[in-house]
Amino acid sequence: MDSRPGDPIDGVPDYVTRRSTGFYRALNPATKLAVAALEVVAVFIVPGWPGPGAVFVALAVTALASRTTRALILIGLAASPLVISIMVVNLFLVPGAADPIFRLGPLAPTVTGLGVGLLTSARLLVFSSAVALAYVTTPVDDLLADMSRRGLGRRGVFVVGAAVQMVPRTLERAGEIMDAQRARGMDTEGHIWRRARGLVPLAGPMVFGALTEVEERTMALEARAFTAPGRQTLLRVPADTGLDRLLRWLAALALVAIVALRVSGRIG
Amino acid sequence: MMGRGAGGGRGASSGSGADASIGGVAPAVDGGEAVAPAVAPAVAPAVEFVGVSFAYPDGTQALDGVNLRIEPGERVAIVGQNGSGKSTLVRHLNGLLRPTAGRVLLDGRDIRDVHVAKLAALVGLAFQNPDRQLFGGRVAAELEFGPRNLGVRGSELAECVKSALAAVGLQDEAETNPYDMGYSRRKLLAIASVLAMRTPILILDEPTTGQDARGVARVRGVVRATVAAGRTAIAVSHDMRFVAECFGRVVVMRGGRVVLDGTPGEVFAERHWSELQAAHLEPPLPAVVGARLGLGSTPTDAALVERLKSNA
Repeated sequence: MDSRPGDPIDGVPDYVTRRSTGFYRALNPATKLAVAALEVVAVFIVPGWPGPGAVFVALAVTALASRTTRALILIGLAASPLVISIMVVNLFLVPGAADPIFRLGPLAPTVTGLGVGLLTSARLLVFSSAVALAYVTTPVDDLLADMSRRGLGRRGVFVVGAAVQMVPRTLERAGEIMDAQRARGMDTEGHIWRRARGLVPLAGPMVFGALTEVEERTMALEARAFTAPGRQTLLRVPADTGLDRLLRWLAALALVAIVALRVSGRIG
Repeated sequence: MMGRGAGGGRGASSGSGADASIGGVAPAVDGGEAVAPAVAPAVAPAVEFVGVSFAYPDGTQALDGVNLRIEPGERVAIVGQNGSGKSTLVRHLNGLLRPTAGRVLLDGRDIRDVHVAKLAALVGLAFQNPDRQLFGGRVAAELEFGPRNLGVRGSELAECVKSALAAVGLQDEAETNPYDMGYSRRKLLAIASVLAMRTPILILDEPTTGQDARGVARVRGVVRATVAAGRTAIAVSHDMRFVAECFGRVVVMRGGRVVLDGTPGEVFAERHWSELQAAHLEPPLPAVVGARLGLGSTPTDAALVERLKSNA
C-alpha cells in the first residue's frame, strides 16, 4: 500500500513523519504566533470592552473549531486566583471611586471598582487564552524546527525550546518527586504545617535534578555536534502555505493599524 | 497462559533455580477470567487486583481488566515491554494511582478510600530513579525519613536505619552526603530508604538498572531477606536473568493485561517464547542454551548446570 505524507514509517520517529491536521492546528507556527501577537496587542491597546470582546469572540470560534475549548477553560480556571485578587483589590481600592454599591463598616465596594476589576480580569483571561491557544495547537518541535528554518541560530532555538519546555518538564519532575515522597509516608493531605514540611523533600531533588540535568544535557548536546559549524539539516520542515503568508501579512497590518489608531488618538 | 496453583504453576518449577514453594496457592488469573484455586487460601492474599483498569488523563489505557493475586511471602517479578503497564500496576498498590475500574485489595481490604500516607505503612515502593527521591544531607537522615513518617522513633528508628544500611552494604556510609555517592550506590540507598520502613510488602521498580554484578547481588540479597522475614517482594524489571534467579513467580504484561503468569521455569520455557517475543522480551541465556540442547526449561545457570550434570 502506498504511504501518504504523515503516515508512520517503521524505524522513522513520529516527529519526522507527523503532520498537524485540522483547523488552526495545521497552520505554520509563525502564523499562530503572529495571530496571538495581534490578539494580545488588541486586548491591551484598544480601550474599554471592544478589544477583549472582539478577541474573545475570535478565540471562542477558533477554540471550538480546533477542539481546544477544554484546555482553554482549564487555563482560565488556573488563573482564577489571580482574577479573584484583581476583583477584590479593584472593588475596594480603586482611587477616587465614590459610587459605593453598599457599605459594611469600613468596607465599601464601588461600581467603578467593579467595572475596572471586570475589565482587567477580562483582559487577563483573554490574553492568557490567546497565548495558550497558540501553545496547545503547536507542538514544541514544530515551533523549534520552524525557527531553525527561518535562520534563528541553534543557540537561540535551544534557549526558546528550554524556556517553553521548562514548565511541563518541571511539573513532571515535581510530580514524580512528590509521588516518591508520598510513597515514603509524607503527608500531603493533612494539616497545612505538615504539608509545608513536605517542601524540603520536594525542593532537594528538584534543585539537584535540575542542576545535573543541565550538566548532562550540555554534554549530550556537545556529543551530538551542537557547536559544529555549518547549517543544520532539518529532518522535518513544517508547512508554510500561501494562506499562512496571507494571514501573517493581515495580522501585521492589523497590528500596525491598531497601534497607529491608538497613537493618533482615533481610538481611546 | 499457565495457571499457578491450578495445575501448572507450582509443580512445573523443576530446574528453574527459583524457589517455587513460597507463598500460598495462587489462583491463575488473566485478563479477566479467573481459574478456581485448587485449594482455598487460608489467609487473604497480600495483594489482589480485581478487574483493574486504568486510563491516564490523556486517554492512554494503561491497564485493561487486570486480575492478579499475590500471596503473603511470595517473590513476584512483573515484566513486559515499556508501556505495558508494569509501573502503573504497582503504583496502584500504594494509592499513587487509583483504578478507573475494578478494585485493589491489600490483605483482603479495598484500599480505594485509604490515603497514600496510610498505605505507606503497608507498601514500600522504591522508585526507579533515586535522584527523584533523595534529599537528605546525610545517608542516615535519608533513611530516617520514611520510618519517621510512620511514627517510628528512638532506638527502634536507629535499628531500622542500621539494618537497612547493612542490607544494601552501606553500613559505613551513614554520614556520607548522598550526592557524593555514585549512581549505583544512590540507587541502593533509595532501596534502603524504603527497606527501613519495614513494610509487609516491598516493591522495587527496576532495581538492577545501573548496577554492577556486586550491586545486583546486593539487590538479590535484599529480595531474599525480605521474603525470609515473611514479607512479600514484588519487582518490576527488564533484567530477565535477575528475574529468573531471584523470583518464584513471573508475571508478563502486554498492553495493560497479564499474558503469562507462572514460575520462571514455566514462563521462560520454549513453548512461551513467541508470547515473550510479542511482549518484546527475551528469555535468559541459560533458557535459550537449555532449549537448544534439548534439556527442557533451564532459566538459570544453576538449573542448566544441574540438567547438564544429570544428562552427562
